[in-house]
Order: sequence, then C-alpha cells, then structure tokens
Amino acid sequence: MSEEKNEYQKPLPDFRPETKPFWDGTKNHKLLLPKCKDTGKVFFYPRAISPFPGSVNMDFDWVESSGKGKVWTFSVHYMGPTRAYKGETYVVAMIELDDGVKMMSNVVGIDPEEVKIGMEVEVVFEDATEEVTFAKFKPVQ
Amino acid sequence: MGTHIPSIDDTKELLKKNQIGIIGVGETAQGKIPGKSSFHFLSEASKLAIEDAGIQKSDVDGIITAFSLVEETFMHCTTFADYIGINPKYFESVAIGGATAVWMTAAAAMAINSGQAEVVLCVRGDNTLSGISSTGMIALIREMCHGEFEYPFGLTTPGGYALMANRYLHETNGKREHLHSVAVTMREHAKLKENAMMKDDLTLDEIMGTRLLASPLTKFDCSIVSDGGAAFIVTTNAKAKELGLKRDPVYLHGMGQGFSHQYLTSCENLDQIYGAVEKSGKKAFETAGMTNDNVDITFLYDCFTITTLLELEGLGIVPRGQAGAYALEGRLHKDADTPINTHGGLLSQAHLGAMHHVIEAVLQLRGDAGARQVKNPNVALVHGNGGIVSAHSTIILGNEPVS
Repeated sequence: MSEEKNEYQKPLPDFRPETKPFWDGTKNHKLLLPKCKDTGKVFFYPRAISPFPGSVNMDFDWVESSGKGKVWTFSVHYMGPTRAYKGETYVVAMIELDDGVKMMSNVVGIDPEEVKIGMEVEVVFEDATEEVTFAKFKPVQ
Repeated sequence: MGTHIPSIDDTKELLKKNQIGIIGVGETAQGKIPGKSSFHFLSEASKLAIEDAGIQKSDVDGIITAFSLVEETFMHCTTFADYIGINPKYFESVAIGGATAVWMTAAAAMAINSGQAEVVLCVRGDNTLSGISSTGMIALIREMCHGEFEYPFGLTTPGGYALMANRYLHETNGKREHLHSVAVTMREHAKLKENAMMKDDLTLDEIMGTRLLASPLTKFDCSIVSDGGAAFIVTTNAKAKELGLKRDPVYLHGMGQGFSHQYLTSCENLDQIYGAVEKSGKKAFETAGMTNDNVDITFLYDCFTITTLLELEGLGIVPRGQAGAYALEGRLHKDADTPINTHGGLLSQAHLGAMHHVIEAVLQLRGDAGARQVKNPNVALVHGNGGIVSAHSTIILGNEPVS
C-alpha cells in the first residue's frame, strides 16, 4: 500500500491555509464541516469567511458530518484531465449531504454504469498520500 | 441634494439621449491557423472592424478587450492599446469568461454615457488552438473548477457541464437526443457561415454513435477550440453622423447581468441557475421596455449543448423543461420559429466567447447575413455565460432608435 501512496500521480489539492481543519479531518478519517457562528449552519467548500448572506463571520466551529447523503448528479468520465487517468472510467458526482451541503467527489465501490441520481451513499476515506486523504462516497449497502 | 438613487430609469434615459450602437464589425478567418499570435488576431479583427465602420484608427478613443488564454498578459487592454498604436481615453479589460463579449457592449455604452470616450473598439482574439500547450490546456481545465475541492476528483471541463446536463435530463425526464440536437442545428447553420470551422455533415445518429467523454456528453456537445479574432465598434448616432458614416448604428436597447455561482459546489439546484439567467434577461428587457415577444432572433451561449437549453428556458423563450423538445423538433433552426445562433455558434463556428454572437446579431439586423438571413429581424437578444452556467450577461440590440 505504501508504494501506491508514494506513486500517487493524480492532481493533489491546491491547498489554502484556511482549509487545514478539513484536511486534518480527512487524514483522521473524519468528515468535518465548517459551521458559521452567525447562522449556525454548516457550509462547503471551506473558505476564510462565511458565505451566508449578511455574515462576515471568520472564525468557525468544525462539526463532524454523518457522512451520509445522496447522489444529486453525476457523470461517468471516460476521459480524465491528465495522463494519470489514462484508461480509467470513473464517476464524478455532486453529493448532497444530509447536512444540507453539496460536495463534489467520486462514487466508488460500484460499477460506474450502475450509479443513479438519488442513490444513497456514505463517506469512505481514501488515503492518496502520506499527507492527503480524500473523502469519497460509496453506495449504502 | 444627494437624494437620487440611480436605477435602470437613468440608463433608459441615457440610452435614449445618446443613441448608442454598433457601427462596425470584423471577423478574421477562424479555425486552425498556426503562425499568427494572439495579438496578430486582435490587430486583424480591429482592422476589419475599423474598415467596416468606415472610420480611421485615430477615431477610436476607447479600447475594451477581454483576456488571452495563451499570452500571459497582466493588463490586457493597455497591452493591446500599446501594440496597435491607440492612445485611449478609456481602457478596460472585461474578464468574465463567456459573459465577456456581450458585456463589452454594455461597458462601452457606460463609458460613452459617462463621457469617458466616444468611439469604443471592443476586441477579442487568440491563438487558443495552435498556441496552447497540453500543460496550458491542463491549467485551463483546472481553472474551470475549484483546485482544492473539485479538480482532485478528476473533473474535466466537459465533466462540469455533464453534471448539469445529467441533472437537467433527470428533472425534465429528458434524453440525450435533446442535448445532441442543438449540435445538429448549429452544424447546419455553420455550413452557411463562411469562416465557420466545422462544416462536415453531422446527424443525430452520428452523435448517438459517438463515444461519451463524460456522460451524457460527446465531443459534439462541446464547444470547439479555434484560432481567430473578432471585433466591433460602439459609438453614438451623433458621432457616427459627425464621422460621415453611411450606415445607422445597430442600437443598444438594454443590458443586464445575473450571477449564480462560480463553483458547482456552490450551486444548490438548477433553479439557482435559471434565476441568474432570468435576472440577466429581465434587466435587459426592462431597460429596453421589451419582452420576449419583441425578439426576432436570439443568440445564446452554446459552449455546451446543455447551456443552450438552460438559457432558452431561463430567459423565458421556451417553457421550463421543454427546450430539449424544441431542439429535437428543429425549432432552433434559422427557418423555424425560434431561430438561434445562425452563425453556428461555439459548437460549430469558432470559440471567441460570444464575440461572434454579437457580430452575427448585427449582421442579421443589418440584413447582411446572406444565406443565413432570417426574415426582417428588428430585435436581437444576445446572451453570454461565463464559467459553468455561472455568470450571465444579456443585451438587446435593435434596428430602431431607442425611444
């Protein structure tokens, strides 16, 4: 498994300092979401300022998501953006988490052609490198 | 004193007072044209527009450009002003993706209305096809989505639109043919446009038999990449007469913008997109004092087949959920009841954002569209969209002066 981690060829995230708690979370196999203190609502994607109208809150609590949601939309990709994806067929999806936010990810653990809008999914963590773990989603059994 | 809050009414007054419109257009050859730099295309397009207008380069006192996907220019508009030898009183780079070209017209009008310039050259050009390396292309794809929370999942540019397309088909109980038929109509139109890049026959069967890039989209559902330049010149009717121009301007009657999101992660649902399109169109219509009933020909941002359908519905041209059926029935064809993009659009003619859409609107209104001409159009709507159906702009152009 360590060889796979060292040889991860696909794009890694363009990290910004303000998102660190999220990636610390995934590394520990937790799906953490930032919560605006003014509205009490979680948001995604993580950024330095609350995206809710009327709020300029910039210090957030981070709460753990149940990791459960539904496939809001998806697309089976037969061609990837870089050479690292050559020959692969994979699913990019917009997951609607039960927490009320949308999160882009891959749906894994299922034949791409079987994925459907509305399908119930749950988070599964994929360790890409020593430092980076991605939150991906698999169908709820 | 100081109690006035500006509104569209002020714009209406100014457009009526100043009678601003497009007096010259220029399009270079489009397609795979190696050996010409981005700035060469900008120059050539500008030359053609200046000559079409019947003015001198020295008459131009405003420059509005976009951006380059090839050249790393920090200040694009002033770099081009330097290059072409124009000392502009007004200079602006409009960089809102595909919403740019449409908005250049509005920006030119606003500059003119505020006395910053009188004759504004709006130009975009690039050697995107021949000049961009594969690393450059990868960088471009990365910029179309969130580099931290979207790109690492392998989203491609067609992929982003494909996500929206699948959701649309799900909500409308639609099928792939609804999307692909937009491409079929665009190809039919492109065949009649001299500088169109794609002119080979294209049938629905062929598209259905083509491999998917990202479900449900094939390469035919995606805009082409091309080299070329395009420009148009905006001024007032009074200035046009002062310059001794024979032709009346094609007048700007209204303009608007609408914002939905930038990243798909921030797009809660399709209604959010429809809302942004609607807002953009509504502002343009209100300023123009018009509705969809006044529009004779429409130009929509067809970077992907799905965007065309979403815009048709968002603008209220077609009832919600029915754009796919319209496309499949051929109703978007120049001879049908809802003609769009008679130049072949981004799907078949060329990709310079909505530049060619603005230009073709002008050609149609002038009666200069040749074999593509629709019958006596008086009013054209042109809609641009930047990002992944994210940022929208609309203008309404007409042959009649603003009243």
